[in-house]
Amino acid sequence: MDGSTISDLIIATVRMATPLLIVALAELYSERAGMVNIGLDGIMAFGALVGFLVCYWTGNPYLAVICAAVAGVGVNMVYAFCTITLCANQIVYGMAINIFAPALASFIYRVVFGVSSTLAQATLMKTVAIPVLKDIPLFGKLLFDQTPMVYLSYLLVIITAIYFNRTKSGLNYKAVGEYPKAAETMGINVIRQKYIACIICGFFAGAGGAYLTTCYVNTYSDGVVAGRGFIALAAVIFGRWTSPGVMMACLLFGFFDALQLRLQIGSNLIPYQLFQMIPYVMTLLALTLLGNKISGPKANCKPYFREER
Amino acid sequence: MLKKNFMNVLIPMLSILLAFIIGMIIILCMGANPIQAIGFLFRGAFGTVTNLSNTVVRSMPLIFCGLCTCFAYRCGIFNLGGEGQFLMGAMAALAVSLLIGAEGPWVTVLAIVAGILAGGFWGLLPGILKSWRGLNEMITTIMFNYVAVLFMGFVYTSALREGSVPQTAAVPDLTKISRIFPNLRITWGIVIAILVGIAAWYFLFHTSKGFQLRAVGFNPTASQFNGFSVKSYRLMAFVVSGAIAGLGGASDILGTQFRLISGYGSGYGFDGVAIALIAQLDPIATVIVAYFFAVLRVGSTTMQVGSGVPTSVIDIIQALVIIFAVAGSAMMHLPTVKVFFSNLFGKKEAA
Repeated sequence: MDGSTISDLIIATVRMATPLLIVALAELYSERAGMVNIGLDGIMAFGALVGFLVCYWTGNPYLAVICAAVAGVGVNMVYAFCTITLCANQIVYGMAINIFAPALASFIYRVVFGVSSTLAQATLMKTVAIPVLKDIPLFGKLLFDQTPMVYLSYLLVIITAIYFNRTKSGLNYKAVGEYPKAAETMGINVIRQKYIACIICGFFAGAGGAYLTTCYVNTYSDGVVAGRGFIALAAVIFGRWTSPGVMMACLLFGFFDALQLRLQIGSNLIPYQLFQMIPYVMTLLALTLLGNKISGPKANCKPYFREER
Repeated sequence: MLKKNFMNVLIPMLSILLAFIIGMIIILCMGANPIQAIGFLFRGAFGTVTNLSNTVVRSMPLIFCGLCTCFAYRCGIFNLGGEGQFLMGAMAALAVSLLIGAEGPWVTVLAIVAGILAGGFWGLLPGILKSWRGLNEMITTIMFNYVAVLFMGFVYTSALREGSVPQTAAVPDLTKISRIFPNLRITWGIVIAILVGIAAWYFLFHTSKGFQLRAVGFNPTASQFNGFSVKSYRLMAFVVSGAIAGLGGASDILGTQFRLISGYGSGYGFDGVAIALIAQLDPIATVIVAYFFAVLRVGSTTMQVGSGVPTSVIDIIQALVIIFAVAGSAMMHLPTVKVFFSNLFGKKEAA
């Protein structure tokens, strides 16, 4: 492997890891308030469609990402209302979102572009180089010549780490996920906090979906998400519910994704499907080796009945 | 008790009705005539004997996938891997029927057994990961799904490919599962599906092992203290639910599809989850809901041709049914709603 291959691999790793990272952070915010949301895959699919459509119509990828994020909040509010207010099972409802949101996305796509759709294409977000940092030899051009989404996601990692560990509001937030009754006793509005968590989660999950259609490929197709929502869920567990850990996990999974693409190009003898399995198999392997005996927030996945003793 | 059963039937019925109303509003917004569209839908599903038989054929894999989810979830396991287990079953059955070099009913039996074993094995893997490393089965089963789908791609493009088109050879004629009526596509597979449904219902609700399995799902801690082996019940649920899906894959490939092509079995796993949830995890109801899904699928093609409404509107209706059904049954457990209904029913009895 020569130098350019390695630098290609690093660029691809960062590009592949970014949607995972944004969505995994969304899940982190959700689970810190005790809300396990396995509907990320569905929210991403819907975000990907909305992002694509807005980008196709206006040609403005930034607006597209914001619209997709708002759409993600909208979808996640269905989940939030049913799990928080109606106390429905979070797993079952996440699954309902996983079935509902992609169906809606695929329907809207067919209505807009017709049943026998020609391949519609939108503009991609351009990379923005950071003036001084990009001149650092070796890594400068690799890490500081990316789309703004990439910078924002890493900024978010730092903000999240500070918020959850160094601010009062962040500690209150975590208390809701650990022991909601105690949090309520201390005067924290648990229900409101859970709703806020779902808004944040929907926002970032929608934006992460839009990344796929505004920064990665310039078309929308059914199944564009390809299980990334579930890999992001695995990244949260693997990263042990901390934002730096989640970042490392996403970079690792992004690396395997980049690696399989590179290996596919390099080899004609071995069927490409075997390489495409790498990210999924590695996720399983990583969880098997390092993912045991760790526990997330204590009240994760438990519905909160306010009146219950 | 009667009230509870009544609600269990009423909620899915209301959800279906509500979802259809919203679906018709969507069709109206698209500028089509919803009554006409629904008319086409039902004509497509029940209009001729052939169409009617197609709905039965279509329901078979859905019944198996629904039962797969239903069985595992009764033990507290959320098996999202129905699709992967289904595909592994189909691939194993196809491989046996093609590679054994003979054809006949005994090969059919062998192929079906291979399908059951392959599906069970694909269910066993996440089961082992859960009991040995405590891994969340929702993530692992999804990962195994993708591996199975890609493996199927490898099978039809390289390993068992026939000719220039990326597809496998067809199952030999004598190995195919035979049809019940000579000129309709319904095979004995549907009988197997219904029998599995009845067997699952009998096992879960009328045997002590089934009771213990449900107890593990309901409260693992209490089951552990009662001396039920939580781990082995969970493992059993994984394997049996995988085996059901594998049997479904084998019956489908040997009876209906005959060869693997791109996109085969796509979405069956999530359909199974939706069906089991709407059926409130009752095996018999799962069979009925699966048939309902098949009716929508078959009818929607006629609807698309007849009225120009895309088939994907059916996906939305299905998704809405599950959203309403789950929300409805969750609502029944809320304290305020419980009080409201007990008042309502109490008054009726007094009057």
